[in-house]
Amino acid sequence: MKNPILEAKGISKSFGNIKALDDVDFFLEKGIIHGLLGENGAGKSSLMNILSGIYIPEKGTLTINGQLIKRLNPDLASSYGIGMVHQEFRLIDSFSIKDNLTLSKSNIYQNDFSEAFSKYSDIFALNLNAMTPVSELSVGEKQKVEIMKLIFHNSSIMLLDEPTAVLTPQETVQLKESLETLSQEDEKTIVLITHKLKEIKDFTETIYVMKNGKMVAKDLDTKTVSDTQLIELMMGEVKTSKFDKNNFKGDTKLEAVDISFTNEQNIKTLQNVSLEIKSGEVLGVAGVSGNGQVELANIICGIIKDFEGRVIVKTKDVTGKGVKSRKKLNLSYIPENRLGVGLAPGVSVLDNSAIKEYFQASFGPHLSKNVLLNSLNDLINKFSIKAPDVKAEISTLSGGNMQKLLMGRELISNPDVIIAAQPTRGLDVSAVDSIHNLIIDQRDKGSAILLISEDLDELFKLSDRLIVMYEGKVITEIETELATVENIGLAMAGINE
Amino acid sequence: MNKFLLSKKLYRNELATFYSFLIGFLIAIIVGSIILLIQSKNPFDVFSLMLKLSIGSLNSLSNSLNKAIPLILAGLGIAIINSVKLWNIGAEGQIFFGAIALNFVYINTSIENSYLYIFLLLASGFIGGSVCILLPALSKVLFGVNEIITTLLTNYIVFGLTIYLINGVWKDPNSLNFPAAAYVSESVYLPTVFGKLSSGFLICILFTLIAYYIKDKSVFGYEMRIAGGSALTAIYAGISAKQKAFIAMLIGGGFAGLAGAIELLSQTHRVSTGISQGFGYTAIIVAAITGMRPLGIFLVGSLFGALAIGGSVIQTIGVSSYISDIIQATTLFGALIAQFFFSYEIKRVKDD
Repeated sequence: MKNPILEAKGISKSFGNIKALDDVDFFLEKGIIHGLLGENGAGKSSLMNILSGIYIPEKGTLTINGQLIKRLNPDLASSYGIGMVHQEFRLIDSFSIKDNLTLSKSNIYQNDFSEAFSKYSDIFALNLNAMTPVSELSVGEKQKVEIMKLIFHNSSIMLLDEPTAVLTPQETVQLKESLETLSQEDEKTIVLITHKLKEIKDFTETIYVMKNGKMVAKDLDTKTVSDTQLIELMMGEVKTSKFDKNNFKGDTKLEAVDISFTNEQNIKTLQNVSLEIKSGEVLGVAGVSGNGQVELANIICGIIKDFEGRVIVKTKDVTGKGVKSRKKLNLSYIPENRLGVGLAPGVSVLDNSAIKEYFQASFGPHLSKNVLLNSLNDLINKFSIKAPDVKAEISTLSGGNMQKLLMGRELISNPDVIIAAQPTRGLDVSAVDSIHNLIIDQRDKGSAILLISEDLDELFKLSDRLIVMYEGKVITEIETELATVENIGLAMAGINE
Repeated sequence: MNKFLLSKKLYRNELATFYSFLIGFLIAIIVGSIILLIQSKNPFDVFSLMLKLSIGSLNSLSNSLNKAIPLILAGLGIAIINSVKLWNIGAEGQIFFGAIALNFVYINTSIENSYLYIFLLLASGFIGGSVCILLPALSKVLFGVNEIITTLLTNYIVFGLTIYLINGVWKDPNSLNFPAAAYVSESVYLPTVFGKLSSGFLICILFTLIAYYIKDKSVFGYEMRIAGGSALTAIYAGISAKQKAFIAMLIGGGFAGLAGAIELLSQTHRVSTGISQGFGYTAIIVAAITGMRPLGIFLVGSLFGALAIGGSVIQTIGVSSYISDIIQATTLFGALIAQFFFSYEIKRVKDD
C-alpha cells in the first residue's frame, strides 16, 4: 500500500484475562472502502473502538496522516476526522434530523445547511424534510442519518459497525451505491465491519479478516480472493475430535413444521423452516448469528406465539401455547443470553436456581424455601457448582458457574427435549468440556437436543446431523459424518452447492 | 496519577440495612441537636421530653402507635409494589380514597351487627385504595406510562375530590361551616385495645405478617422477584411480568386504602382533610429506609409514629414540631448514604 491515511501497528488490548486484540496491524488507504470480516467476538468492534479513541490500547502505535498519535481520545479522534456509526444508534429521538446533524461543534455546514442536506439526501435517497423528528424515521432512515452525521461532522474516515444488520435487501443495495459515491466523489475512507461474506465482496475493494483477536489476513484484493479462502480464514482450524455418534435413536420427540415468522420491524426472519429430532439425537444448527436462530428457538420454546407453522413436542401439538405448556412436556431451554434471560440479574442464586420448576416447591400459594434449598443443594453437588453464598446475588458466581447452574437447572429433570443456544460462548476450556459432557450425557439418556452454535468445532463434535441457517432459511441439511468444514462454511455464507 | 473507581461489593452484610438505619438515625439526632442549639435550646432536654411524652406512659405510647398505623400500612403497600421494582408515590391519595370509599359505602348501607359492618367498611377502604391506583396500574401495563408520575398526580386528583366532597354533597350541615363530612355513628368506631390504642394496630400487625408472607414466602412473591429482576427472564420462565405488576399495584394500593379506613374509624370519624397529614409521603421514607422489608417497616413506622407525637408535644415548650420532620428526613438521607457505602467500595487504581 502506497500512502496509508491511517496506520495501526501491533495493537493489543485485554479485558480481564481475555485478549480482545493481540498484536493487530491495520491500514487504511484514502478514498477506498475497506472490509473487516470476522465472527462475533473476533475483535472487530474492539479495534474500531480503539481507532475512535473510546478504548486505550495497552500496546501498539497509531499513525494518522503520517503523524504519530500518542494517546487518542474520542474528541481528538473526531478532530482527526475519524467517525464511527455504532450498532446501536446514537441519535436524539426527539430532535429533528437537522438538529441531530448539526448538533456537534465540529459541524461544517452551519451556514449552507440546506444545500448540503439536499446534496446528501440525493446520495442517500432520503426523501424527508430536515425538520422531521428522528423518532418518526424507520430504522433504515435512521441509519442514513447516522452516516450523514459523520459527513456533517467532517469525518474523512468513516467506521461503520455492521450497518447492514438492520437493513432490508433493497436498503442494503441502496447503501452500497451511497457508499460508493462517497468514496469516489468525496474521497471518504470507509471501513465496513460485517460477518456477511456476500456483502463484503459486494461492497469493498480490500479485505481484512480477524479471528480470535488476531488479524489473520491483511489487505486482500476483493477481486481475486475466493469465498472458500475467506471462509477458511474466518473459521480458522477446526478440530475434528468427535464423540461416539453410534448412539441409539428412538421416537421423534420434537417436530417443527413449515415455520415462518415476520418480526416487528416487518422483516421475515424465518421462512418455511422444518426440522425433526429423535430421542437420543443431537441436531446442530450452524449459521452466522442473526440468521433466524434466536427466533426459531423462541418459537419452539413458546416465547414467540404469533408465527406460521406448527410445533409438535412428543406428538402433542403445542402451536399457539405458551412456555408453561412446554415445561409440562419436559422441554428445557438454555438461552443464548445467560444473564438477563436465563438468569435474572439482581436476584439471588437460590431464586435463580428455581426458575424452571419453582411450582414444584409450591403448596397452594405457599412456596417452600426448604424444598428450594434442597433442590439447589442437589444441583450444586451434581454439577459441582461453586456457590459460596446462595442468598447472594447471582452475579457473585463466575461465568462458568452461572452456566453450570443454568444447565443444571434445565437438565436435572432429565428433559425429553433440550434447546441449547450458544451453550459454551465465552467460557474457558475446562468449562466448555464439562458442558459438552453434560450434553452428550443427556443425549445418551434419550433427550432430543437442538444445539444452536456459531462454533463449528462444537457442532462437529456433538451433532449427529447438521442444518445451516441463512437469512431465515434452512439452506443445507446433512449428516455430520458427510459434512466438511468447507461446505458448511460456504452454506453459512449463503452459498449452497 | 491516582484514579478512584467505584465498584459494587459482591457480598453485602445481611444486617447492612439495619446498620444503615442506625447510622442515619444517629446523623439525624446530631443534625437535630445542632438546629436546637442554634435556637438556644438544650437538645438533651428537648429529646428527653420528646421521649417521655411519646413513649413514657401507656397513654402516650398508644398515641404513638396509633400514629404509626397509617405509616406502617402505607409503607407495606409501597414495599409490595416495589417487589416488581415499581414505585408508588400515590399512597397519600390512596389513603384519602380509602376513607372516601368507606364513607360512600357507609352512607349507602346499613348493617345491624356492628362488627360485620366494621369489617365491611374496612374492606371497602381496602378496595377504595385499589380503585385509586387502578388508572396508574392500567396505564403502566398497557402503555408503559411511568408509574411514579401517574401515582403522584393521582394524589392531587384525589385531594381535589376530597375538598369537593366535603364542601359539597357530603358537607355536614352541623359542622358550623367547617368543611367536613358528617360523623359516622359511634357503633362503627374501632374499639380500643388498652389505653387509647386502637384495635387498628392489631390489624396493622396482621397485615405486616401478610405482607411478609406475600413477599418472602409465597409463590406470588417469588414470581414478583423474578419479574422485578428481569422482564426477559420472566417471559422465559412463563411468568407474566405485567400481570404481576398489575396485581402488586392493586394490593399495594389496597394497603394504603385500608390505612385511610382505619384512620377514619379510629381517629377522625369523618371524611375531612385531616384523614392524612402526609402519612403517604412519610411512608415512602419508612419503606425506603428499611430496604422494603415488612418487619423493618413495622419497627421504623412505629418509631416514626413516636417521633411525630414527640414533635407535636414539644411545641408546648416553644420548639417547632418541624424538628421531628427534619429528623425523619435526615434519617432517610443518612441511611441511604450509609446503604451506599455498604453496597459499594471505593477502589484506588493506578493510572499510567
